[in-house]
Amino acid sequence: MSASVLVPSVVSPIVVSLFVPAIFTGLLVGIIGLMAISYQKNDLSALILTDIVGVGMLIMVAAVGTDLAESLILPGLVVDLAEILAISEILMSREIRKKGKEVDLIPLPLKMDMEILTTAPTFLAIILISYGAFLSGFTGGAVAGGGILVYVLSRRMRGVPSDMWEGVAGVSGIAWCLWLVGFVIFFAFPQFWLLALFLAAFGIFIKVTFKMGLIGVMGREEFKKE
Amino acid sequence: MDIIILGQQLLGYIPLGDIVLYMAPLNLFMFASALAFTTLIAISKTETQVEAEFGTLKDKGVTVDKKEFKIRRFLAIVCGLATAGAMITGDVFDFTLFVCLIGIVNIGIVAAVKQVDVLDAAFQYGLVAMIATLPLFGGAAMILAATGTISLLEIVNIPTTTMMIFGSILLFMGVAGETGVAPFYATKAEMFRTPGSPFLLIIHLSSLLVIVRVIEILLIINKPF
Repeated sequence: MSASVLVPSVVSPIVVSLFVPAIFTGLLVGIIGLMAISYQKNDLSALILTDIVGVGMLIMVAAVGTDLAESLILPGLVVDLAEILAISEILMSREIRKKGKEVDLIPLPLKMDMEILTTAPTFLAIILISYGAFLSGFTGGAVAGGGILVYVLSRRMRGVPSDMWEGVAGVSGIAWCLWLVGFVIFFAFPQFWLLALFLAAFGIFIKVTFKMGLIGVMGREEFKKE
Repeated sequence: MDIIILGQQLLGYIPLGDIVLYMAPLNLFMFASALAFTTLIAISKTETQVEAEFGTLKDKGVTVDKKEFKIRRFLAIVCGLATAGAMITGDVFDFTLFVCLIGIVNIGIVAAVKQVDVLDAAFQYGLVAMIATLPLFGGAAMILAATGTISLLEIVNIPTTTMMIFGSILLFMGVAGETGVAPFYATKAEMFRTPGSPFLLIIHLSSLLVIVRVIEILLIINKPF
């Protein structure tokens, strides 16, 4: 089966001819990453350089350029991220075992007790959260979640109360239920589609926003902080 | 639409929308053995290693504490289910995703151990597994580009082209790196020295079954007979 059968005639020949150069670009990026890994001696640099090879993989998948390929890029990206997280976790736990003592989650060289950390975060968080609410849906959730993360990370010095995390996780669960109810309404009572749409959109907005609450719960459990 | 290779008979399809699982005796046998082994793992307890100490006549028992044991058992069950899924799927990209899941979970099973040597080996294996995603997904994407489909039931009817052969070679390289077989075995061998035997064996079993399955997929794609 030749390529002309598979590619519809509306696609311009320039786009079709870009496929082979894109494949070679992906392979070349991978080879450059491998050469860089072979040259260096530091474990952390090896881990970061491995990510370049993953970018080469994304280029090769994206070169196909159909909507099927588009839906395949997302799992590829997720797999790449999951592997880099798992390996960096191993690297961290190995270094902790070698040192033989506990270390901070984010080791800082100096005490960051600046005034800007107490005044600015509230303002930034309010702007980000209101803009996220205006966007709604998945994107809005990510923006508003970024706002909450900024707020929490900058107030970490003074200690965030532990009850707050429980509440955040609970609200996240309820929001997810809203999202599910929205979907059920879509299938069961299609005439109420507007209600279902709003339930789903704002459910996922709150859900993604409070996903960041999980970071707080995990941080408290791992590092025994209030 | 027949996929009879290796003298098999097709027993039936499970159409789940786009994703069609197909059942042939080889696939069903491997699926059942992966599930049976996963069940054995789910109900078994972990071993205790006894290490001889140098300089004295004492022995040292290396045990796994309860929290670590639970995490490891969970990850081993996930690994078994991923292996079972990779055995029966009729879709190249699902297969690659299952293989990637096996790779990640293999790292996770040994991630919580206390021996520095084992963590070192797991780190090296993780690097190889991550590098191997390039040929794995790249090969699957090239097969998709050459045939226009990722369903094995469709690919079996399409005559083989050079692009498909190149893609399937890349796919095989990716699976070899991801499961840590022959050329990359040195990175994985050290990982087995940690205690907790029944959970570690799933690392072996999954790579064994996945290799048999990838050879079947290569035969379907390349059609040498």
